[in-house]
Amino acid sequence: MKPYVYALILMLIIPFQSTLLNSISIFGIKPDLALSVLFIIGLLTGPVEAALAGISIGLVQDIGSASLFGFSGLTRGLVGLGAGLLGTRVLDITNPVIVLFLAIFSLVEGIFISLFLQATYGAVPFFTIIAGRLVPQAIYTSALCFFLLRLANRRDILRLLKRRDIQKEI
Amino acid sequence: MNGFIVKNKKSVIILLLFTTLFWLVTVQVKKGRFTILERPVLAVSGFLERIIIWPFNTVVSIGREYVFLVNTEQENRQLKEEISRLRIENGVTSELLLENDRLRELLNFRKLQQPSTIAVQIIGKELSPVSSTFTINKGSNDQIQKDLAVITADGVVGRVQTVLPGTSKVFLLTDPGNTVAVMVQRNREEGLLEGKLVNCALKYVSYYADIQEGDLVVTSGLDGIYPKGLAVGTVTKVVKQDAVAFQTVVVEPAVRFSRLEEALVLMK
Repeated sequence: MKPYVYALILMLIIPFQSTLLNSISIFGIKPDLALSVLFIIGLLTGPVEAALAGISIGLVQDIGSASLFGFSGLTRGLVGLGAGLLGTRVLDITNPVIVLFLAIFSLVEGIFISLFLQATYGAVPFFTIIAGRLVPQAIYTSALCFFLLRLANRRDILRLLKRRDIQKEI
Repeated sequence: MNGFIVKNKKSVIILLLFTTLFWLVTVQVKKGRFTILERPVLAVSGFLERIIIWPFNTVVSIGREYVFLVNTEQENRQLKEEISRLRIENGVTSELLLENDRLRELLNFRKLQQPSTIAVQIIGKELSPVSSTFTINKGSNDQIQKDLAVITADGVVGRVQTVLPGTSKVFLLTDPGNTVAVMVQRNREEGLLEGKLVNCALKYVSYYADIQEGDLVVTSGLDGIYPKGLAVGTVTKVVKQDAVAFQTVVVEPAVRFSRLEEALVLMK
């Protein structure tokens, strides 16, 4: 993908995530726009580019949310890598089933974060977080990604952005 | 070896990046959070948040002011009744305050001063699995400073963490890095409230302390950030284990963060 697309994503991801998505939150749960976008980048590009995109998006989110610098960079980088690897094995990225993988990525990332918090700060209500926040958020994020993929497909954006670098990476 | 690195250059770079990030995180856990690049990134995102939220808020306020006037008359009546009730309560409270002042003077105590407040609008919410922060629409231009308390009528929201000219970042009570000096209102038992993402936990409460579910937790004022007596939350769970010197006390914050739109910053 072109550098200006990434620059735009990095610049707008925090403002969009923390403002407009609040209006569609249900019981305080809102979809993770950054993860959805990263998943689509992974499907469109490839593991290396998606991992780098994940690290960049994660670092910006770390700074924006005043959390440990590099933590989301690490987790988002791994999600990008996973999405990129998935992208090399999927032919039709608009297939609705594919967003199930995003739900799994979201859940695994959340569990990893919760375990880290458990180890660092101790006694975080692990199961409450999983049942009350991570699972609903994973479902909501997948739904948003499905909507974004459908929207992009209808507007032919996917064809424009489609896997230019993937052949090189394979 | 060199051949392998050259052949897998991209993978090696990614691996190195992941290792560096992991090392950075472990360093911060031990030595505290890095704040490099925080100000420029927050300045850009805060500016964009204000731009994005402006048309949205305008549409919402038009909707609220002109379209949803259906229950206004009934609401107006209820509010008038509430004002009358509050006026009576205010009269009684003023009398008690005056009496308190006189008694404090008699005992040579320092006079209590009401802190001034600044009303702020919440323009961004970041309730991620890692942290819980809000962005407010006022910063150093409005005399906002680091570590000022942010409250609502329901209770404590959090404290100001990063201040920029036009916006500020607020750490919520539930943020894992946030701690507040508190006490149980009923029996003045003190402790330290720590954020646990979805709720909070009261730390360092002795095994023998009498804490019950439903107890109101208020600020003790000992941390120098929050004035004494602000509502923090309610005890929802108490666990005592025989071999442990402290109890595990779960506290549900008094403020519903997901529904919050405005707050007050307490000035020092």
